[in-house]
Amino acid sequence: MTPIITAVLVLSALSGILTLLLLVAEFFFASYGECTIDVNKGEKTFKVEGGASLLTTLAGQKLFLPSGCGGRGSCGTCKCRVLEGGGPLLPTEVPYLNDEEKKTDVRLSCQVKVRSDIKIEVPEELLSIKEFDTVIESITDFTHDIKGLRFKLPEGETIRFKAGQFANLFSRPYDDVREETSRAYSISSAPSDNRAIELVIRYVPNGMVTTYVFKHLKEGDKVRLIGPFGEFFLRDTDREIVCIAGGSGLAPIRSIILDMIDRGISNRKATFFFGAVSQRDLYYVEEFKAIEKKHPWFRFVPALSKDDSDHPYEKGIITEVVARNYGDMKELEAYLCGSPGMIDACVKVLTGKGMPIDRVYYDKFS
Amino acid sequence: MRPGVLTLKGFLGHDDRKLADIIETDHQTVQRLHLDTARIVACLQDLAERGADLMEQEVLVDGRYLIKVRDDRGKIPSPWDDGLFEKGDVDLVDQKTGKKLKWNRLTLRLLEAHGFFGGYGSEYRIDPDALVEILDPAAISVPPEN
Repeated sequence: MTPIITAVLVLSALSGILTLLLLVAEFFFASYGECTIDVNKGEKTFKVEGGASLLTTLAGQKLFLPSGCGGRGSCGTCKCRVLEGGGPLLPTEVPYLNDEEKKTDVRLSCQVKVRSDIKIEVPEELLSIKEFDTVIESITDFTHDIKGLRFKLPEGETIRFKAGQFANLFSRPYDDVREETSRAYSISSAPSDNRAIELVIRYVPNGMVTTYVFKHLKEGDKVRLIGPFGEFFLRDTDREIVCIAGGSGLAPIRSIILDMIDRGISNRKATFFFGAVSQRDLYYVEEFKAIEKKHPWFRFVPALSKDDSDHPYEKGIITEVVARNYGDMKELEAYLCGSPGMIDACVKVLTGKGMPIDRVYYDKFS
Repeated sequence: MRPGVLTLKGFLGHDDRKLADIIETDHQTVQRLHLDTARIVACLQDLAERGADLMEQEVLVDGRYLIKVRDDRGKIPSPWDDGLFEKGDVDLVDQKTGKKLKWNRLTLRLLEAHGFFGGYGSEYRIDPDALVEILDPAAISVPPEN
């Protein structure tokens, strides 16, 4: 028994020493020099210093791939196609890739190291993602736990986004928080309002970024934003739409409705169901009522689940209210934004009324 | 584990003991009380499910527990780097004892996979001694052998 244990220990020690030597050698001697990253067949090329991960290197060139874990390899969201120069697929990437992705050279950019010239392919819309050093123009208290913030972009800069998309807001270090931290929030303004970005933010108790927003930010402060991101936007069809939101989920729906007005889309009926507990949770009501009055294609339906006072709104949980407003929904399409539980409940109601699941659009931010 | 790294308040509260000591002390308490960690997690999960409300309103469960479940978007990483867990705190007030518990999916993961019940003073500490007063001891104890 003793010789076996000794052999295992010696082998483990040797492997450890070799690994250490490799790491030391890499640190001191491995210089990858200048590498070229070719994005989307020459659409963009970057001359970069090799050695860092593809995700970090691209971020250094202001090309931001979505990442939920900051490059730890635990969320699987920073995917892109690496056509040349990515090296072999690593075991750390395998659990996050399906067979089709493996066949088409999709990789996790946080796990691919830039060691030589690389050719990559990223979704076209990622090329319009930019970093903005903004200034807070206004902060509005919408409800007891929801604020609206308007961020002015730097002089001469504009943002291009699709109504419904989101941006990442970075908090600065404060109190015990020593590093910048970011969270995703839906844009509530219209794409035509491209010199500013408006976000609607709900306070999350003990939330690192919302605590910063609610307790530290004030008008005139500088804030870093990156965006736009996301696949939640109005599809280009002629179908009637039903929008359902709760809380801060109103944000992308407002952007979509304002965008429909700007683009003159009046051939699609749109109904916006906004679920809240009581009147104190409602906001933007006057604005949506004014839109309703001016645009016959739009209907605004606030619904209160627990408010016995005399009010003009629908009564009941939002899913019940939607259900009693429609018969067959198979020709409609839906846009949802809210808590994961609310989205799941709405999907059940909509599909139960015949709406195909592939026409129910939502962004759970998960 | 420290405040401001993965979460605003961290996981240790005002506890200045070593992590291994925190885990070991709670492990001994769990053994002394004959508790079963997996059953504690299952019990808390069950309460969270029964206390969930689409509009995040308080729900009285079993005529005793006032439960409020938040349903926030996004995920929190584990300090053990073993996954991302959906946000959403569960606040429970036991109307019989007046005692409170607070947890989320990450708290349950730390408890089940790492035997970590939280440091003293942490809002999210699931104190084993308090658990036996709040929950039905039979539901969270090591099941008797047949």
